[in-house]
Amino acid sequence: MIELEDISVSYTGLPALTQISLSIQSGEYLALIGSNGSGKSTLLKLVNGLVFPDSGSWKLDGIEISAARLKDQRFAKSFHKRIGFLFQNSDAQLFCGTVYDEIAFGPRQMGLDDAEVDSRVQDLLALLGIKALEGRAPYHLSGGEKRKVALAAVLALNPDILALDEPMNGLDPRTKRFLREFLLSLRESGKTVICATHDFEYIDGVFEKAAVFSADHRIVRSGPYAGIIADRAFLESQNIV
Amino acid sequence: MSSFDAPEWLRHSDSYSPGADADRFISKSIRAFLRVLSGLERRPEPKGRTPQPALFLTADFILLLLISLTQSRGFLFLAATIELVIISAQRPAAIAESLKAGAVAAVFTVVIFLPSAFWGAFSDWGSFLRVPFKVFLCAAAAALVPATLDWPRISLGLSSLHIPDIFILVLDLSVKYIYLLGQLALEMLYALRLRSVGRNSGKTATLGAVAGSLFLKSREASVETYEAMECRGFSGSYHSRRHWRPAAMDFAASAFIIGIIAAYIFFRGRS
Repeated sequence: MIELEDISVSYTGLPALTQISLSIQSGEYLALIGSNGSGKSTLLKLVNGLVFPDSGSWKLDGIEISAARLKDQRFAKSFHKRIGFLFQNSDAQLFCGTVYDEIAFGPRQMGLDDAEVDSRVQDLLALLGIKALEGRAPYHLSGGEKRKVALAAVLALNPDILALDEPMNGLDPRTKRFLREFLLSLRESGKTVICATHDFEYIDGVFEKAAVFSADHRIVRSGPYAGIIADRAFLESQNIV
Repeated sequence: MSSFDAPEWLRHSDSYSPGADADRFISKSIRAFLRVLSGLERRPEPKGRTPQPALFLTADFILLLLISLTQSRGFLFLAATIELVIISAQRPAAIAESLKAGAVAAVFTVVIFLPSAFWGAFSDWGSFLRVPFKVFLCAAAAALVPATLDWPRISLGLSSLHIPDIFILVLDLSVKYIYLLGQLALEMLYALRLRSVGRNSGKTATLGAVAGSLFLKSREASVETYEAMECRGFSGSYHSRRHWRPAAMDFAASAFIIGIIAAYIFFRGRS
């Protein structure tokens, strides 16, 4: 589904990703693990078409994704429809007047009729347990509530791939457990999930694969999640635990 | 439906083909924010390539002042030559930034002066072109400061020139929040682009909502900064760091200041 080949990305001359090669299959749950500033968020931005590689290439279902290709508005829209991105900072992701409008923003753009939009919004409000927030302004919600609303807004587009940037950062234990259960349940929907995370305690059993980033922005190991997490000496050497 | 039973529509891919919509304003806004942020993120010139910020600012200010005051064509051409030599010694990006600022200001001045030129306010083309030429030199010299010095060095330079510390603190905080709110605005525009997967009939309302969120965030940040300053015992005075380690470029800048003043005096009263 997603093929990254020898990707390097830099910001104003400073490397953010160095020679990354990675393959992600449809329906796979992949955890991106690494210390702060190792490149996890940059990889998620790359997969969402927000940054582009200095060298190397990446393909989605065999189609090479580049800045030039995303200039084609129709292609860009269908590309963004397929990949949902949950930002680390939910404040940046919520810009509508009410929670309802926030979740309905994507489906309305897709041209769904009002009944269908309402059905999607109500389903997601129920699924994420935020029905009581429906008429409230996203700006006044707590951190955990904002994260749930942002997740609902992303899911409303029914993307095939979910890119999650530190989804459990700054949340209380109950909301973390909620998100864990939610991610597990989402597996049945056949979604592909790519998630940058540090919260190993709360994601146990969620991911089948992991890719570990080193401080010099390379992937130093990838493979079964359980095997990598069990190798404590390796994780310590990478400043992860 | 149990609490985690995904609805039917979420279990299948949508068959969706986006329609056409003109929303290049998002990409344009993103590019504009990226330009501002990369300008603020500029890494400092390597040590030794520029003089002490205070000397740099003084030399730049004196050059601007003397170019504005002079009536001598000889001094104007001398100052122009020296300024262009200094500009040409900078990084390509700084050269482009400086010359672009000068050219834009000069063209603007020509446009403003054209009507009076047609009404015969100038005796010859030379006197007509003198003002835009001066404007070009002044704007290029002024633009050289932000193109060459990063903000911490400008702040240090202002402090060394005994500009009131509280004024520098306000400038420091302003630059910091322009950067932080700029980053937030950029992220919001990215979020908007990622969710703009079809036809948006309320583009203005969406952009208004982004601006409103930014305003609320900036208000929250200002309150938090005020509270943090109070907690750290802020009493109204602020002292910034001052360093003075003379280097070769400092002597060159000092020589430039003395030389340009001497040249101004020499050319005063001559054509």
